[in-house]
Amino acid sequence: MSKIKVALAGQPNCGKSTIFNLVSGIDQHIANYPGVTVDKKTGKFKYDEHKIEMVDLPGTYSFSSYSLEERVAKEFIINENPDVIVNVIDASNLKRHLYLTFQLLEIGIPVVVVLNMMDVARRRDIVIDSKKISEMLGCSVVEASGAKGLGGTDIMKAIVQTSKNKDKYEDFSINYEELEPHINNIQNSIKSTSSTLNKRWMAIKVLEGDTTIIEYLEKEFSNIKQLAKLQEDKFHSLHDKDTTSFLATFRYDSADIIYHKAIDEKNKGKETLTDKVDKFVLNRWLALPILFGIMFLIYELSIVGGYKLTDYTWPILASIKNFVIDISPEPYLATVPMVTDFAIWMINSANALINYVPIFFILFSLIAIMEDVGYMPRMAFILDRVFKKFGLHGQSTLPLVLGGAMVGGCAVPGIMATKGIADDRARMATILTVPYMNCLAKVPFYTLLLGAFFKPDMALMMFFISTATIFTALIVAKILTSTFLKTRETAPFVMELPPYHLPTFKGVILSAVHRVWIYIYKVLTIVLAVAIVLFAMLQFPGIDENSQKKYDKQLEVGLAKFDKKVKKSKYYESVDTKDEIAELLNYYSGYKSKRMVASGKEGAIAVDLKYKTINENYFKFIKPKRDKDAKIINRSLRKLAKVRNRILRNIKNEKVENSILGMAGKSIEPITKYAGFDWKINVAFLSSFAARESAVATLGSLYENGKADSQRAEDAMAQNSGYTPLHATAIIIFMLLTPPCIATMIVVKMQTNSYRWMLFAIFFPVFLGVLIASSIFTFGSLNNWSGLDAMMYFYIAVATIALAIGLFPSKTINWKGGLRIKT
Amino acid sequence: MNNRLDSINSGNEVRIIKVNTTGKLMQKLLDMGFISGAVIEVVREAPLYDPMELKIHNYNISLRKSEARLIEVETV
Repeated sequence: MSKIKVALAGQPNCGKSTIFNLVSGIDQHIANYPGVTVDKKTGKFKYDEHKIEMVDLPGTYSFSSYSLEERVAKEFIINENPDVIVNVIDASNLKRHLYLTFQLLEIGIPVVVVLNMMDVARRRDIVIDSKKISEMLGCSVVEASGAKGLGGTDIMKAIVQTSKNKDKYEDFSINYEELEPHINNIQNSIKSTSSTLNKRWMAIKVLEGDTTIIEYLEKEFSNIKQLAKLQEDKFHSLHDKDTTSFLATFRYDSADIIYHKAIDEKNKGKETLTDKVDKFVLNRWLALPILFGIMFLIYELSIVGGYKLTDYTWPILASIKNFVIDISPEPYLATVPMVTDFAIWMINSANALINYVPIFFILFSLIAIMEDVGYMPRMAFILDRVFKKFGLHGQSTLPLVLGGAMVGGCAVPGIMATKGIADDRARMATILTVPYMNCLAKVPFYTLLLGAFFKPDMALMMFFISTATIFTALIVAKILTSTFLKTRETAPFVMELPPYHLPTFKGVILSAVHRVWIYIYKVLTIVLAVAIVLFAMLQFPGIDENSQKKYDKQLEVGLAKFDKKVKKSKYYESVDTKDEIAELLNYYSGYKSKRMVASGKEGAIAVDLKYKTINENYFKFIKPKRDKDAKIINRSLRKLAKVRNRILRNIKNEKVENSILGMAGKSIEPITKYAGFDWKINVAFLSSFAARESAVATLGSLYENGKADSQRAEDAMAQNSGYTPLHATAIIIFMLLTPPCIATMIVVKMQTNSYRWMLFAIFFPVFLGVLIASSIFTFGSLNNWSGLDAMMYFYIAVATIALAIGLFPSKTINWKGGLRIKT
Repeated sequence: MNNRLDSINSGNEVRIIKVNTTGKLMQKLLDMGFISGAVIEVVREAPLYDPMELKIHNYNISLRKSEARLIEVETV
């Protein structure tokens, strides 16, 4: 059985991935090319007694070395030396695609050309003589239609045929006429190379100034750069032409020859369907409403619809949690085993993040559809002017919307959607600003604070919160691109607006599943690792001996009271030992929590039945009905449970206060006091790093006073915290700017491929948040601002700055040269 | 002096005379088919007047005006 290594190459929008999916089946392996964030898709499969390894190279318009994708693709060819290159081209747009074909043919590896989208070409009455193309180019040409699932077998046959006859392959070469002597010159100087690559190809690449090939050759020929410069200058002085534009023109002319000889386009110049649709989609007056409509639809379907879906998936997660609690060791009176605490903490951290999977799945499917249809570049086209002003790119629209530009989103899919942005500086700026958007998990936090301090102005405050984020993100983008990111490479905005295509179901699902899987995988590994660290930081060193004695005593008092009361009951015998009481307490609290999540009357009956079968005797004490003696126990049991809960809560709070994280929260109080934050808020922010949800939980439990159990968290906070609305505003503003959660940090690391940027993404927002919250709080206290005043001033400030940057004319210098005499 | 591409109104066809740039941008424009003699149709401007959409070699592409200004053209 022979092995055939195939590289799949083609320009963007040629339908390369549909062809890849068509021939390679489901067994795909997706990884990154070494050291960069470009996807490398590999498919391994068998065809006709041959083991095929197919690698999908990144889509490139050319085979020079200016873009990351081009460098990656070329390095693959150099290092992996594939047997066959399959070049997918769009049959309805042959000329430009053939430009790349000529470059691939020159490499010196046999090429199979796949004319994809034949159905589209036929619909447009483009008649293609593929036999003639095959004769002219000296390679197999296969007609296919990936979207319709046609041509897969023909492609595989051509690959096997070509690979079998590899020995008979004759080098393909274009006669570059006046450039020929210069090519031969370089070729002669690198004659002695040990490389197996085609020497003529390398010589041409050297003349094109291709950095990858020049660096590759420099190891053997240290003077290659000078040689190239010499030949380029000579050519320039002889013919007044640059080698690069000469080569490009020559290749386009060659493509033109094929186009004229083998293609008959009957409807040339006639409006295509894409042209007709674009008359509306890109219309001056309709474009923006349509774009906002689509954004709104995506938001509704994924964030809102997906959130509703979590109502159905949450019970599954909750039952997993209950299962974990059930198998963990039970608490004994007021002593909870650490293993149990730990298990609950871990399952909570994981559930909080896994809960978003339905949302992500819908979101990623919709993104894949938009990518396949071809709307993404059009979105960039419509909004580029706005984003350009802030150092961003038209393509930043989608990531920002997903991050939560409209009330709530998630930074994880937002950052993952930055992958396609060609301009590196704008891409980095987008990655670093998406976390400023309103993440869904921040919403409960805002609700808590607004409910506690801004009851009458809730709607107005929520409006400020949701729109201020966009302004701040834009300002931050401007700051970053003109400072930290200033030296980053930018790419010219030269972007194809491809014809619209229907997406394939398989392609969309594969893409969505892949992206969701990345998320789940990361959650299960790194997020849980951080959760362990945070757990330890909240647990140790724990409470001291004196406090433990104090709580033991409280428990004893409670138990004694219980004992005294229940003595009168005839059931006294079943509750007269500590072990029995501990068991009964667990039975009682277990019943209560199960009953709370049970839905409807039937659910309640089911829970009742279950507990009755576990222990009929105890069930009497929980539901005494008319039994007087059971009633006595029931009443005392409830009191005792309350005492126990209060003790547990106090122990927990004292533990948090004494913990490493608590000490950290206290130690930064001298700085955060200017923002009005006490250590409790600090701890809530620190622990929210694992998952934003825990901020609300931490604050909620810290502010419960334990007396009135029916009190809601926001009321408890308003009464017990001693905060004013101004405090709350400072906290909200800090929360607007605070660092993303760890899940987001991990995708920042993935997309920037650097831990330093990840750390920057944590500390820059914290710095900014402390700075702004402190100045608002300090000024506000001095001038007696109300919380609403402070928020309004903040809002006006960011809105004004953003508008000022947006409206300020930015002219760039596009000329150089002239005579500049230094004096 | 010749016309610059950024000053051409929608619906007009022009021919490229020269592209005045170097390096990365030059290579990118060449790769996308902006070679001397190529015919370009200006399709439309974006709703906010920049960038512009062009038709070249029978496909559509968009350029910011700052880049279009570097391309010298003549009317066909």
